[in-house]
Amino acid sequence: MKMDMTGWRDSIFTNPEKRAVPVMTYPGLQLAGKSVLDMVTKEEVQYECVKALSEKYPAVGAITLIMDLSVEAEAFGSPVNFSENEIPTVSKRLIDSFEQVVNLKIPAIGDGRTKIHLNAARLAAENITTRPTFGGIIGPYSLAGRLYDITEMMTAILIEPEGAHELLSICTSFLKGYALAFKNAGCNGVLIAEPAAGLLADYQCEEFSSQYVKQIVDFVQDDNFMVVLHNCGNTVSLVESMLKTGAAGFHFGNAVDMCEILPQVPSNRLVFGNLDPAGVIKNGTPEIIKAKTTELLTRTSQYNNFVISSGCDIPPGTTIQNIDAFFEAIAEYNKD
Amino acid sequence: MNEILEKLTTCIEFGKINQKSPFPPSMRGEVGADELTKQALEAGIKPTIILENGLIPGMNAVGLKFSQGKVFVPEMLMAAKAMSTALVHLKPFFQSGEVKRKGTFIIGTVFGDLHDIGKNLVAMTVEGAGWEVIDLGVDVKSETFLDTLGKYPDSAVGISALLTTTMANMESVVRNVKEKYPSTKILIGGAPLNTEFCNKIGADFYSRDPQGAVAYLNNLQNC
Repeated sequence: MKMDMTGWRDSIFTNPEKRAVPVMTYPGLQLAGKSVLDMVTKEEVQYECVKALSEKYPAVGAITLIMDLSVEAEAFGSPVNFSENEIPTVSKRLIDSFEQVVNLKIPAIGDGRTKIHLNAARLAAENITTRPTFGGIIGPYSLAGRLYDITEMMTAILIEPEGAHELLSICTSFLKGYALAFKNAGCNGVLIAEPAAGLLADYQCEEFSSQYVKQIVDFVQDDNFMVVLHNCGNTVSLVESMLKTGAAGFHFGNAVDMCEILPQVPSNRLVFGNLDPAGVIKNGTPEIIKAKTTELLTRTSQYNNFVISSGCDIPPGTTIQNIDAFFEAIAEYNKD
Repeated sequence: MNEILEKLTTCIEFGKINQKSPFPPSMRGEVGADELTKQALEAGIKPTIILENGLIPGMNAVGLKFSQGKVFVPEMLMAAKAMSTALVHLKPFFQSGEVKRKGTFIIGTVFGDLHDIGKNLVAMTVEGAGWEVIDLGVDVKSETFLDTLGKYPDSAVGISALLTTTMANMESVVRNVKEKYPSTKILIGGAPLNTEFCNKIGADFYSRDPQGAVAYLNNLQNC
Protein backbone atom coordinates (compact mmCIF):
# COMPACT_ATOMS: atom_id res chain seq x y z
CA MET A 1 0.00 0.00 0.00
CA LYS A 2 1.30 3.43 -0.90
CA MET A 3 2.44 5.37 2.14
CA ASP A 4 3.96 8.80 2.71
CA MET A 5 7.40 7.69 3.84
CA THR A 6 8.65 11.24 4.28
CA GLY A 7 5.78 11.74 6.68
CA TRP A 8 6.61 8.43 8.39
CA ARG A 9 10.19 9.56 8.80
CA ASP A 10 9.12 12.97 10.12
CA SER A 11 6.82 11.32 12.64
CA ILE A 12 9.86 9.56 14.07
CA PHE A 13 11.68 12.87 14.42
CA THR A 14 8.81 14.52 16.26
CA ASN A 15 7.38 11.70 18.35
CA PRO A 16 9.10 11.56 21.74
CA GLU A 17 8.33 7.84 21.99
CA LYS A 18 11.09 5.66 20.61
CA ARG A 19 10.16 3.52 17.62
CA ALA A 20 11.48 -0.04 17.21
CA VAL A 21 12.22 -1.68 13.87
CA PRO A 22 14.04 -4.95 14.53
CA VAL A 23 15.05 -6.87 11.42
CA MET A 24 13.04 -9.97 12.12
CA THR A 25 11.31 -12.63 10.13
CA TYR A 26 12.82 -15.84 11.54
CA PRO A 27 11.26 -15.52 15.02
CA GLY A 28 7.91 -15.80 13.21
CA LEU A 29 8.77 -19.41 12.39
CA GLN A 30 7.95 -20.42 15.95
CA LEU A 31 4.62 -18.64 15.81
CA ALA A 32 3.79 -20.30 12.49
CA GLY A 33 5.35 -23.70 13.31
CA LYS A 34 7.51 -23.73 10.17
CA SER A 35 11.16 -24.28 9.27
CA VAL A 36 13.76 -21.97 7.74
CA LEU A 37 13.57 -24.03 4.56
CA ASP A 38 9.81 -23.39 4.41
CA MET A 39 10.39 -19.67 4.80
CA VAL A 40 13.01 -19.32 2.09
CA THR A 41 11.13 -21.44 -0.44
CA LYS A 42 7.45 -20.62 0.16
CA GLU A 43 6.07 -17.11 -0.15
CA GLU A 44 3.00 -17.84 1.96
CA VAL A 45 5.17 -19.05 4.87
CA GLN A 46 7.30 -15.91 4.81
CA TYR A 47 4.14 -13.80 4.73
CA GLU A 48 2.52 -15.87 7.49
CA CYS A 49 5.58 -15.31 9.70
CA VAL A 50 5.78 -11.53 9.28
CA LYS A 51 2.00 -11.28 9.65
CA ALA A 52 2.15 -13.25 12.91
CA LEU A 53 4.95 -11.05 14.20
CA SER A 54 3.14 -7.86 13.23
CA GLU A 55 0.05 -8.99 15.12
CA LYS A 56 1.97 -10.13 18.19
CA TYR A 57 4.06 -6.96 18.32
CA PRO A 58 1.96 -3.88 17.52
CA ALA A 59 4.94 -1.77 18.58
CA VAL A 60 6.95 -2.87 15.53
CA GLY A 61 7.48 0.33 13.60
CA ALA A 62 7.87 -1.33 10.20
CA ILE A 63 7.69 -4.79 8.71
CA THR A 64 10.96 -6.16 7.39
CA LEU A 65 10.97 -9.07 4.99
CA ILE A 66 13.60 -11.75 4.88
CA MET A 67 17.29 -10.87 4.59
CA ASP A 68 18.27 -13.79 2.33
CA LEU A 69 21.67 -12.94 0.91
CA SER A 70 21.81 -15.95 -1.41
CA VAL A 71 18.74 -15.31 -3.53
CA GLU A 72 20.25 -12.77 -5.92
CA ALA A 73 23.39 -14.82 -6.62
CA GLU A 74 21.19 -17.87 -7.11
CA ALA A 75 19.20 -15.96 -9.73
CA PHE A 76 22.50 -15.39 -11.58
CA GLY A 77 23.11 -19.14 -11.47
CA SER A 78 25.23 -19.64 -8.33
CA PRO A 79 24.73 -22.96 -6.55
CA VAL A 80 23.13 -22.59 -3.13
CA ASN A 81 23.09 -24.97 -0.16
CA PHE A 82 19.77 -25.41 1.60
CA SER A 83 19.00 -27.14 4.86
CA GLU A 84 15.96 -27.41 7.08
CA ASN A 85 17.00 -24.94 9.76
CA GLU A 86 19.88 -22.96 8.37
CA ILE A 87 19.89 -19.88 6.20
CA PRO A 88 20.76 -20.75 2.57
CA THR A 89 24.34 -20.06 1.53
CA VAL A 90 26.08 -19.71 -1.83
CA SER A 91 28.33 -22.77 -2.02
CA LYS A 92 30.61 -21.99 -4.95
CA ARG A 93 31.76 -19.00 -6.96
CA LEU A 94 30.04 -18.59 -10.30
CA ILE A 95 32.94 -16.97 -12.17
CA ASP A 96 36.66 -17.31 -11.57
CA SER A 97 37.94 -14.55 -13.83
CA PHE A 98 36.65 -11.16 -14.84
CA GLU A 99 36.87 -12.25 -18.47
CA GLN A 100 33.80 -14.34 -17.74
CA VAL A 101 31.80 -11.28 -16.73
CA VAL A 102 30.79 -10.66 -20.35
CA ASN A 103 29.08 -14.04 -20.35
CA LEU A 104 27.03 -13.26 -17.26
CA LYS A 105 23.37 -12.93 -18.07
CA ILE A 106 21.51 -10.43 -15.93
CA PRO A 107 18.64 -12.43 -14.47
CA ALA A 108 15.05 -11.47 -15.18
CA ILE A 109 13.16 -10.18 -12.18
CA GLY A 110 11.36 -13.21 -10.82
CA ASP A 111 14.09 -15.69 -11.75
CA GLY A 112 14.95 -18.31 -9.17
CA ARG A 113 13.54 -17.57 -5.75
CA THR A 114 13.32 -13.81 -6.31
CA LYS A 115 9.68 -14.34 -7.26
CA ILE A 116 9.04 -16.02 -3.89
CA HIS A 117 10.39 -13.03 -1.98
CA LEU A 118 8.56 -10.58 -4.23
CA ASN A 119 5.28 -12.43 -3.80
CA ALA A 120 5.79 -12.54 -0.03
CA ALA A 121 6.40 -8.78 -0.15
CA ARG A 122 3.23 -8.25 -2.16
CA LEU A 123 1.18 -10.25 0.35
CA ALA A 124 2.68 -8.34 3.28
CA ALA A 125 2.22 -4.93 1.68
CA GLU A 126 -1.40 -5.68 0.74
CA ASN A 127 -2.42 -7.11 4.08
CA ILE A 128 -0.36 -5.33 6.74
CA THR A 129 -1.41 -1.76 6.15
CA THR A 130 -0.82 -0.19 9.53
CA ARG A 131 2.94 0.05 9.09
CA PRO A 132 5.41 0.33 6.22
CA THR A 133 6.78 -2.85 4.66
CA PHE A 134 10.44 -3.06 3.70
CA GLY A 135 11.76 -5.57 1.20
CA GLY A 136 15.29 -6.88 1.50
CA ILE A 137 18.06 -7.05 -1.10
CA ILE A 138 21.81 -7.57 -1.04
CA GLY A 139 24.20 -4.71 -1.84
CA PRO A 140 26.27 -4.62 -5.06
CA TYR A 141 29.67 -5.29 -3.53
CA SER A 142 28.37 -8.15 -1.40
CA LEU A 143 26.64 -9.68 -4.43
CA ALA A 144 29.83 -9.36 -6.49
CA GLY A 145 31.63 -11.16 -3.65
CA ARG A 146 29.19 -14.04 -3.85
CA LEU A 147 29.59 -14.36 -7.61
CA TYR A 148 33.38 -13.97 -7.71
CA ASP A 149 34.31 -15.22 -4.19
CA ILE A 150 34.54 -12.68 -1.44
CA THR A 151 38.24 -13.21 -0.68
CA GLU A 152 39.08 -12.75 -4.35
CA MET A 153 36.82 -9.71 -4.63
CA MET A 154 38.69 -8.12 -1.73
CA THR A 155 42.02 -8.27 -3.55
CA ALA A 156 40.49 -7.68 -6.99
CA ILE A 157 39.71 -4.08 -6.08
CA LEU A 158 43.47 -3.55 -5.71
CA ILE A 159 44.87 -5.57 -8.61
CA GLU A 160 42.02 -5.69 -11.13
CA PRO A 161 39.85 -2.67 -10.36
CA GLU A 162 38.50 -2.40 -13.91
CA GLY A 163 37.21 -5.97 -13.80
CA ALA A 164 35.74 -5.38 -10.36
CA HIS A 165 33.87 -2.31 -11.66
CA GLU A 166 32.57 -4.27 -14.64
CA LEU A 167 31.12 -6.94 -12.36
CA LEU A 168 29.73 -4.33 -9.98
CA SER A 169 27.95 -2.60 -12.87
CA ILE A 170 26.21 -5.83 -13.79
CA CYS A 171 25.26 -6.53 -10.19
CA THR A 172 23.89 -3.01 -9.86
CA SER A 173 21.83 -3.29 -13.04
CA PHE A 174 20.10 -6.34 -11.61
CA LEU A 175 19.67 -4.86 -8.14
CA LYS A 176 18.07 -1.68 -9.50
CA GLY A 177 15.43 -3.80 -11.17
CA TYR A 178 15.00 -6.02 -8.12
CA ALA A 179 14.57 -3.01 -5.81
CA LEU A 180 12.05 -1.54 -8.25
CA ALA A 181 10.16 -4.82 -8.22
CA PHE A 182 9.73 -4.52 -4.43
CA LYS A 183 8.41 -1.02 -4.99
CA ASN A 184 5.99 -2.28 -7.62
CA ALA A 185 4.93 -5.07 -5.27
CA GLY A 186 3.67 -2.39 -2.89
CA CYS A 187 6.56 -2.19 -0.45
CA ASN A 188 7.30 1.17 1.13
CA GLY A 189 11.01 0.75 1.12
CA VAL A 190 13.90 -1.60 0.80
CA LEU A 191 16.74 -2.55 3.13
CA ILE A 192 19.99 -2.97 1.21
CA ALA A 193 22.37 -5.29 3.06
CA GLU A 194 25.97 -4.52 2.17
CA PRO A 195 28.00 -6.33 4.84
CA ALA A 196 31.11 -7.01 2.72
CA ALA A 197 31.70 -3.28 2.28
CA GLY A 198 32.26 -3.11 6.03
CA LEU A 199 35.66 -4.73 5.48
CA LEU A 200 36.91 -1.92 3.25
CA ALA A 201 38.63 1.39 3.87
CA ASP A 202 36.45 4.48 3.46
CA TYR A 203 37.77 5.40 0.00
CA GLN A 204 37.42 1.79 -1.15
CA CYS A 205 33.87 1.65 0.20
CA GLU A 206 33.04 4.81 -1.71
CA GLU A 207 34.51 3.58 -5.00
CA PHE A 208 33.37 -0.04 -4.91
CA SER A 209 30.15 0.11 -2.94
CA SER A 210 28.61 3.52 -2.24
CA GLN A 211 28.65 4.84 -5.80
CA TYR A 212 26.75 1.71 -6.90
CA VAL A 213 24.34 1.82 -3.98
CA LYS A 214 23.67 5.44 -4.94
CA GLN A 215 22.55 4.29 -8.39
CA ILE A 216 19.94 2.05 -6.76
CA VAL A 217 18.85 4.84 -4.40
CA ASP A 218 18.52 7.33 -7.27
CA PHE A 219 16.52 4.78 -9.24
CA VAL A 220 13.87 3.92 -6.64
CA GLN A 221 13.81 6.31 -3.71
CA ASP A 222 11.08 8.97 -3.52
CA ASP A 223 8.58 10.30 -0.99
CA ASN A 224 6.74 6.99 -1.02
CA PHE A 225 9.68 4.62 -1.08
CA MET A 226 12.61 4.74 1.32
CA VAL A 227 16.01 3.09 0.98
CA VAL A 228 17.79 2.02 4.15
CA LEU A 229 21.41 0.96 3.78
CA HIS A 230 22.60 -1.75 6.17
CA ASN A 231 26.26 -2.36 6.88
CA CYS A 232 27.18 -4.53 9.85
CA GLY A 233 30.96 -4.06 9.67
CA ASN A 234 33.12 -1.70 11.64
CA THR A 235 31.63 1.34 9.97
CA VAL A 236 32.74 4.20 12.20
CA SER A 237 35.04 5.49 9.47
CA LEU A 238 32.60 4.60 6.66
CA VAL A 239 29.68 6.80 7.65
CA GLU A 240 30.65 9.64 5.34
CA SER A 241 30.89 7.24 2.43
CA MET A 242 27.55 5.67 3.32
CA LEU A 243 25.90 9.09 3.51
CA LYS A 244 26.95 9.80 -0.07
CA THR A 245 24.58 7.07 -1.28
CA GLY A 246 21.70 9.43 -0.55
CA ALA A 247 19.76 6.75 1.31
CA ALA A 248 17.14 8.11 3.67
CA GLY A 249 18.13 5.72 6.42
CA PHE A 250 21.17 3.82 7.65
CA HIS A 251 21.20 0.60 9.59
CA PHE A 252 24.25 -0.37 11.64
CA GLY A 253 25.46 -3.66 13.08
CA ASN A 254 26.65 -4.30 16.58
CA ALA A 255 30.33 -3.95 15.67
CA VAL A 256 30.02 -0.22 16.32
CA ASP A 257 29.08 2.01 19.21
CA MET A 258 26.02 3.99 18.10
CA CYS A 259 27.33 6.98 20.01
CA GLU A 260 30.23 7.12 17.58
CA ILE A 261 27.87 6.87 14.60
CA LEU A 262 24.99 9.18 15.47
CA PRO A 263 26.99 12.43 15.67
CA GLN A 264 28.20 11.78 12.11
CA VAL A 265 24.70 11.48 10.59
CA PRO A 266 22.62 14.59 9.78
CA SER A 267 19.49 14.83 11.87
CA ASN A 268 17.24 14.53 8.79
CA ARG A 269 18.38 10.97 8.09
CA LEU A 270 17.16 7.96 10.05
CA VAL A 271 19.65 5.81 11.95
CA PHE A 272 18.78 2.25 12.95
CA GLY A 273 20.76 -0.01 15.27
CA ASN A 274 22.19 -2.10 16.83
CA LEU A 275 21.55 -4.66 19.59
CA ASP A 276 23.70 -7.74 19.10
CA PRO A 277 21.31 -10.15 17.36
CA ALA A 278 23.22 -13.30 18.32
CA GLY A 279 25.02 -12.60 21.59
CA VAL A 280 22.19 -10.60 23.16
CA ILE A 281 18.86 -11.18 21.42
CA LYS A 282 19.29 -14.88 20.61
CA ASN A 283 21.63 -16.10 23.33
CA GLY A 284 20.92 -13.61 26.11
CA THR A 285 18.42 -14.01 28.91
CA PRO A 286 15.31 -11.79 28.96
CA GLU A 287 16.94 -9.84 31.80
CA ILE A 288 20.08 -9.18 29.75
CA ILE A 289 18.03 -8.18 26.71
CA LYS A 290 15.97 -5.73 28.74
CA ALA A 291 19.08 -4.22 30.32
CA LYS A 292 20.90 -3.87 26.98
CA THR A 293 17.84 -2.40 25.25
CA THR A 294 17.29 0.17 27.99
CA GLU A 295 20.99 1.02 28.03
CA LEU A 296 21.04 1.65 24.27
CA LEU A 297 17.89 3.78 24.39
CA THR A 298 19.27 5.81 27.27
CA ARG A 299 22.64 6.39 25.65
CA THR A 300 21.02 7.54 22.39
CA SER A 301 18.15 9.50 23.92
CA GLN A 302 19.29 12.87 22.57
CA TYR A 303 18.99 11.72 18.94
CA ASN A 304 15.45 12.08 17.54
CA ASN A 305 16.47 10.30 14.34
CA PHE A 306 17.44 7.10 16.14
CA VAL A 307 15.31 3.99 15.77
CA ILE A 308 16.20 1.02 17.92
CA SER A 309 16.78 -2.21 16.01
CA SER A 310 18.74 -5.42 15.98
CA GLY A 311 22.24 -5.09 14.54
CA CYS A 312 21.33 -7.58 11.82
CA ASP A 313 18.67 -10.16 11.05
CA ILE A 314 17.48 -11.79 14.28
CA PRO A 315 18.64 -15.41 13.85
CA PRO A 316 16.48 -18.50 13.61
CA GLY A 317 16.07 -20.17 16.99
CA THR A 318 15.60 -16.90 18.91
CA THR A 319 12.87 -17.48 21.47
CA ILE A 320 9.68 -15.48 21.57
CA GLN A 321 10.41 -14.75 25.24
CA ASN A 322 13.54 -12.89 24.18
CA ILE A 323 11.67 -10.86 21.57
CA ASP A 324 9.04 -10.11 24.22
CA ALA A 325 11.79 -8.82 26.51
CA PHE A 326 13.06 -6.45 23.79
CA PHE A 327 9.61 -4.91 23.33
CA GLU A 328 8.88 -4.82 27.07
CA ALA A 329 12.03 -2.79 27.63
CA ILE A 330 11.03 -0.31 24.92
CA ALA A 331 7.51 0.02 26.34
CA GLU A 332 8.91 0.65 29.83
CA TYR A 333 11.39 3.20 28.48
CA ASN A 334 8.65 5.05 26.58
CA LYS A 335 6.39 5.00 29.67
CA ASP A 336 9.07 6.71 31.73
CA MET B 1 70.57 -5.44 7.68
CA ASN B 2 70.84 -7.08 4.28
CA GLU B 3 69.34 -4.94 1.53
CA ILE B 4 67.48 -7.83 -0.10
CA LEU B 5 65.84 -8.73 3.20
CA GLU B 6 64.86 -5.13 3.83
CA LYS B 7 63.21 -4.96 0.43
CA LEU B 8 61.54 -8.30 1.07
CA THR B 9 60.07 -7.02 4.32
CA THR B 10 58.73 -3.98 2.47
CA CYS B 11 57.21 -6.16 -0.26
CA ILE B 12 55.38 -8.31 2.30
CA GLU B 13 54.22 -5.28 4.28
CA PHE B 14 52.81 -3.57 1.20
CA GLY B 15 51.56 -6.69 -0.60
CA LYS B 16 53.91 -6.58 -3.57
CA ILE B 17 53.65 -10.14 -4.88
CA ASN B 18 55.86 -10.04 -7.95
CA GLN B 19 57.11 -7.70 -10.67
CA LYS B 20 53.99 -8.29 -12.75
CA SER B 21 51.59 -7.30 -9.99
CA PRO B 22 50.22 -3.76 -10.37
CA PHE B 23 49.81 -3.39 -6.61
CA PRO B 24 50.82 -1.27 -4.83
CA PRO B 25 50.82 1.46 -7.50
CA SER B 26 53.86 3.11 -5.90
CA MET B 27 55.92 -0.06 -6.56
CA ARG B 28 54.64 -0.76 -10.06
CA GLY B 29 57.32 -2.40 -12.21
CA GLU B 30 59.56 -3.23 -9.26
CA VAL B 31 60.42 -6.78 -8.27
CA GLY B 32 58.29 -8.32 -5.55
CA ALA B 33 58.39 -10.96 -2.83
CA ASP B 34 58.60 -13.70 -5.44
CA GLU B 35 61.76 -12.47 -7.15
CA LEU B 36 63.41 -11.18 -3.96
CA THR B 37 63.06 -14.51 -2.15
CA LYS B 38 64.74 -16.23 -5.10
CA GLN B 39 67.47 -13.56 -5.09
CA ALA B 40 68.02 -14.01 -1.37
CA LEU B 41 68.45 -17.77 -1.74
CA GLU B 42 70.79 -17.28 -4.70
CA ALA B 43 72.80 -14.81 -2.63
CA GLY B 44 73.35 -17.57 -0.09
CA ILE B 45 71.18 -16.16 2.66
CA LYS B 46 70.00 -18.99 4.89
CA PRO B 47 66.31 -19.81 4.49
CA THR B 48 65.77 -19.41 8.24
CA ILE B 49 67.18 -15.88 8.05
CA ILE B 50 64.97 -15.09 5.05
CA LEU B 51 61.93 -16.26 7.00
CA GLU B 52 62.78 -14.64 10.32
CA ASN B 53 64.44 -11.42 9.18
CA GLY B 54 62.71 -10.83 5.84
CA LEU B 55 59.23 -12.30 5.74
CA ILE B 56 57.90 -12.41 9.29
CA PRO B 57 58.77 -8.75 10.07
CA GLY B 58 56.75 -7.73 6.99
CA MET B 59 53.70 -9.65 8.17
CA ASN B 60 54.13 -8.29 11.69
CA ALA B 61 54.21 -4.75 10.33
CA VAL B 62 51.07 -5.09 8.22
CA GLY B 63 49.35 -7.00 11.02
CA LEU B 64 50.01 -4.15 13.41
CA LYS B 65 48.63 -1.61 10.92
CA PHE B 66 45.54 -3.81 10.47
CA SER B 67 44.96 -3.93 14.23
CA GLN B 68 45.30 -0.15 14.36
CA GLY B 69 42.81 0.36 11.52
CA LYS B 70 45.46 1.83 9.22
CA VAL B 71 44.99 -0.84 6.56
CA PHE B 72 41.98 -3.03 5.82
CA VAL B 73 41.14 -6.54 4.71
CA PRO B 74 42.14 -6.07 1.03
CA GLU B 75 45.66 -4.88 1.93
CA MET B 76 46.02 -7.58 4.57
CA LEU B 77 45.08 -10.24 2.01
CA MET B 78 47.57 -8.85 -0.50
CA ALA B 79 50.32 -9.03 2.12
CA ALA B 80 49.34 -12.61 2.88
CA LYS B 81 49.41 -13.46 -0.84
CA ALA B 82 52.90 -11.97 -1.14
CA MET B 83 53.95 -14.03 1.88
CA SER B 84 52.51 -17.24 0.39
CA THR B 85 54.35 -16.59 -2.87
CA ALA B 86 57.62 -16.19 -0.99
CA LEU B 87 57.01 -19.31 1.08
CA VAL B 88 56.76 -21.43 -2.07
CA HIS B 89 60.51 -20.93 -2.51
CA LEU B 90 61.20 -21.96 1.08
CA LYS B 91 59.03 -25.07 0.93
CA PRO B 92 61.89 -27.48 0.12
CA PHE B 93 63.76 -26.24 3.19
CA PHE B 94 60.72 -26.78 5.39
CA GLN B 95 60.39 -30.29 3.99
CA SER B 96 64.07 -31.08 4.56
CA GLY B 97 63.88 -29.78 8.11
CA GLU B 98 66.47 -27.07 7.47
CA VAL B 99 63.91 -24.43 8.39
CA LYS B 100 61.78 -25.08 11.44
CA ARG B 101 58.24 -23.84 11.70
CA LYS B 102 56.97 -22.56 15.01
CA GLY B 103 54.36 -25.31 15.05
CA THR B 104 51.37 -26.63 13.14
CA PHE B 105 47.97 -25.02 13.03
CA ILE B 106 44.96 -26.87 11.65
CA ILE B 107 42.12 -24.58 10.63
CA GLY B 108 38.68 -24.96 9.10
CA THR B 109 35.21 -23.45 8.97
CA VAL B 110 32.84 -25.54 11.03
CA PHE B 111 30.47 -27.98 9.35
CA GLY B 112 27.31 -26.42 7.96
CA ASP B 113 29.11 -23.14 7.25
CA LEU B 114 30.57 -22.24 3.86
CA HIS B 115 32.01 -18.82 4.70
CA ASP B 116 35.74 -18.57 4.45
CA ILE B 117 37.04 -15.01 4.36
CA GLY B 118 37.75 -14.85 8.09
CA LYS B 119 39.22 -18.33 8.07
CA ASN B 120 41.41 -17.48 5.06
CA LEU B 121 42.64 -14.30 6.67
CA VAL B 122 43.61 -16.10 9.86
CA ALA B 123 45.20 -19.00 7.96
CA MET B 124 47.35 -16.70 5.83
CA THR B 125 48.34 -14.49 8.76
CA VAL B 126 49.30 -17.43 10.95
CA GLU B 127 51.30 -18.94 8.09
CA GLY B 128 52.97 -15.58 7.64
CA ALA B 129 53.94 -15.64 11.31
CA GLY B 130 56.01 -18.76 10.73
CA TRP B 131 53.53 -21.57 11.42
CA GLU B 132 52.71 -24.48 9.20
CA VAL B 133 49.04 -24.15 8.38
CA ILE B 134 46.83 -27.01 7.31
CA ASP B 135 43.72 -25.45 5.88
CA LEU B 136 40.84 -27.93 5.82
CA GLY B 137 38.55 -25.52 3.98
CA VAL B 138 34.87 -24.99 4.77
CA ASP B 139 32.09 -27.24 6.07
CA VAL B 140 34.59 -29.27 8.14
CA LYS B 141 33.24 -32.05 10.35
CA SER B 142 34.75 -33.32 13.61
CA GLU B 143 36.07 -36.46 11.91
CA THR B 144 38.20 -34.39 9.54
CA PHE B 145 39.71 -32.38 12.39
CA LEU B 146 40.36 -35.65 14.28
CA ASP B 147 41.89 -37.40 11.26
CA THR B 148 44.22 -34.46 10.68
CA LEU B 149 45.15 -34.30 14.35
CA GLY B 150 45.98 -37.99 14.08
CA LYS B 151 48.64 -37.08 11.53
CA TYR B 152 49.79 -33.90 13.34
CA PRO B 153 49.02 -34.59 17.01
CA ASP B 154 50.92 -31.61 18.42
CA SER B 155 48.96 -29.09 16.39
CA ALA B 156 46.72 -26.32 17.60
CA VAL B 157 43.25 -26.13 16.04
CA GLY B 158 41.30 -23.13 14.76
CA ILE B 159 37.57 -23.26 14.06
CA SER B 160 35.67 -20.50 12.30
CA ALA B 161 31.94 -19.75 11.93
CA LEU B 162 30.09 -16.77 10.53
CA LEU B 163 26.51 -17.79 11.14
CA THR B 164 24.60 -17.86 14.38
CA THR B 165 23.11 -21.14 13.25
CA THR B 166 26.47 -22.80 12.62
CA MET B 167 28.36 -21.42 15.61
CA ALA B 168 26.43 -23.96 17.68
CA ASN B 169 28.11 -26.74 15.66
CA MET B 170 31.44 -25.69 17.15
CA GLU B 171 30.47 -27.19 20.49
CA SER B 172 30.44 -30.79 19.24
CA VAL B 173 33.71 -30.30 17.35
CA VAL B 174 35.40 -28.91 20.45
CA ARG B 175 34.00 -31.74 22.58
CA ASN B 176 35.14 -34.43 20.13
CA VAL B 177 38.62 -32.97 19.77
CA LYS B 178 39.07 -32.53 23.52
CA GLU B 179 37.85 -36.09 24.19
CA LYS B 180 40.52 -37.60 22.00
CA TYR B 181 43.23 -34.93 22.33
CA PRO B 182 42.64 -33.22 25.70
CA SER B 183 45.81 -31.15 25.54
CA THR B 184 45.11 -29.73 22.08
CA LYS B 185 44.53 -25.99 22.18
CA ILE B 186 41.47 -24.83 20.26
CA LEU B 187 40.99 -21.28 19.00
CA ILE B 188 37.67 -20.06 17.69
CA GLY B 189 36.73 -16.99 15.69
CA GLY B 190 33.91 -15.45 13.69
CA ALA B 191 31.61 -12.46 13.69
CA PRO B 192 28.89 -13.74 16.07
CA LEU B 193 31.31 -15.22 18.65
CA ASN B 194 32.75 -13.87 21.86
CA THR B 195 34.83 -15.00 24.82
CA GLU B 196 31.74 -15.99 26.78
CA PHE B 197 30.69 -18.40 24.02
CA CYS B 198 34.25 -19.71 23.82
CA ASN B 199 34.22 -20.52 27.52
CA LYS B 200 30.78 -22.06 27.29
CA ILE B 201 31.76 -24.59 24.62
CA GLY B 202 35.11 -25.42 26.20
CA ALA B 203 37.41 -23.88 23.59
CA ASP B 204 40.65 -22.33 24.80
CA PHE B 205 40.73 -18.94 23.11
CA TYR B 206 38.47 -16.57 21.19
CA SER B 207 40.29 -14.28 18.82
CA ARG B 208 38.55 -11.28 17.35
CA ASP B 209 41.24 -10.77 14.70
CA PRO B 210 44.12 -12.66 13.04
CA GLN B 211 46.75 -10.90 15.15
CA GLY B 212 45.07 -12.17 18.30
CA ALA B 213 45.37 -15.72 16.99
CA VAL B 214 49.06 -15.23 16.15
CA ALA B 215 49.81 -13.75 19.57
CA TYR B 216 48.05 -16.64 21.32
CA LEU B 217 49.83 -19.27 19.22
CA ASN B 218 53.23 -17.66 19.65
CA ASN B 219 52.63 -17.55 23.37
CA LEU B 220 51.83 -21.28 23.38
CA GLN B 221 55.14 -21.89 21.74
CA ASN B 222 56.89 -20.05 24.54
CA CYS B 223 55.08 -21.96 27.31
